[in-house]
Amino acid sequence: MTIERDELGFDAPAPLGHPGRAGLPEGHPTGPEVGEKLPDFTLPDAFGKNVTLHEARAGRPAVVVFYRSAVW
Amino acid sequence: MIRRYGILNEQVKPGDLILYGIPYPGAYITDGDGIVVSKSFHGSYKIRDSPEALLDAALGRAHLDDVEIAAPQGDDEVRVQVALRGGRGTIRQGIVRHAFARFELADGLHLYGEPVPKGMIATQVEISGPPGLVVHDPVAPPTETLQIGSMGVELQVWSGSFDIEIPFHAVGELASECRPLDQDAVPIQVTVRYQACDDETCLLPKTETFRFDVPLDVVDIPKLGMHLGHGQREGNFDAQPHLERLLKRKFKESPLGFVRHLFLAARLNLAAKLRALRGEAKP
Repeated sequence: MTIERDELGFDAPAPLGHPGRAGLPEGHPTGPEVGEKLPDFTLPDAFGKNVTLHEARAGRPAVVVFYRSAVW
Repeated sequence: MIRRYGILNEQVKPGDLILYGIPYPGAYITDGDGIVVSKSFHGSYKIRDSPEALLDAALGRAHLDDVEIAAPQGDDEVRVQVALRGGRGTIRQGIVRHAFARFELADGLHLYGEPVPKGMIATQVEISGPPGLVVHDPVAPPTETLQIGSMGVELQVWSGSFDIEIPFHAVGELASECRPLDQDAVPIQVTVRYQACDDETCLLPKTETFRFDVPLDVVDIPKLGMHLGHGQREGNFDAQPHLERLLKRKFKESPLGFVRHLFLAARLNLAAKLRALRGEAKP
C-alpha cells in the first residue's frame, strides 16, 4: 500500500480517494441529538454475551463510542 | 443499529464488500437517565477523542489530579495550573489532546472574558508548538455579568475555580503513524495572560508561560504483511488470522464483489504510486 497525506494533513496506509478515507460530509446528521434519549440496543460484547444499553447502565451515565480501526 | 442511529457511512457503497457497513465514528455521552448530554463527531475519521476526554465529558469536569504533564504557577491571589490531558501525556496523529488552564481565584477576585473595555485585559490562553500541531478553538465556561455602576459598563467575568481548555491534535507532518518517528518529544508552550480584579481595584496584569517537552506516542502496527514498513513499531498483535477470516467470509458472501474490491484497491494503489512518482501528495 502507498502512504499518502490528505488535505487535512493526515497520513494513512490507503491511497487518496479510497472510500475508507472519506470524511463526514459537512452538515451530515450525526444521529441522536443532545437532549434526546439514546436509542436502546442489544449487542454481543467481546465475550459473546448480549448487552442492552440502558439495562447495563443501571441508572449511571454512559459513553457510547463508534470507533474504527481499533487495531489497524 | 448504525442505520437506526443514522450514521452509516454512505460514501462507502454496498459494492465495496470489505468496508460497507462502517459508521461515521463519533461518541455520545448520556446522563443517568440515558439522555444525550454531549456528543462528538469530527470531519475526519482520523480526528478522535481520547478516552480521558470522553470520561471527563461524562463526569462533567476534567480530572487533572493524575495527568502526567502539569505545572502550577501563580500566587496566593490567582493560582494557575496548566495540564496536558489525554494519551498519558503523549501526542499522536489525530487523537485530540486538551491543554487545560485551571484558574483558582481567591475570594472576591474575578478574571475577565471578552469583550473588555479598552485598557482592561481579557483572559487569554494560547498554545504553540512545532509545525503540524493543529489548535482548535478554546472552550471556556459561561461568564457571569458584573455591573460596574460607577463606570456604567457591564463586564463578563469568571470567579472561583474554572478551566479554559484548548483542544489540539497533531497531523502527519509532526506525528505520522506511517513512518518511524524522527524525534522522541516536541516542545509545547502554553501562555496564559490575565488580570485579576475585585470590585474596586485590579492587580497588575500577568503573563505566565508554561513549557513542556511532550513525548510522541509510538504507535504499534499489527503484524501484517501489507503493513510492513508503514508504522513505527511492529506490535505483538498478529492480525493475519483475522484478516484471512475476514477475506474468506467476504469471498463466500460474494465472489464477484470480492474480485471487484480487489480491482478497486489495485486501481487506487496504482494511481497513488503514479502520484508518488510525480512527487505529489507525499508524506
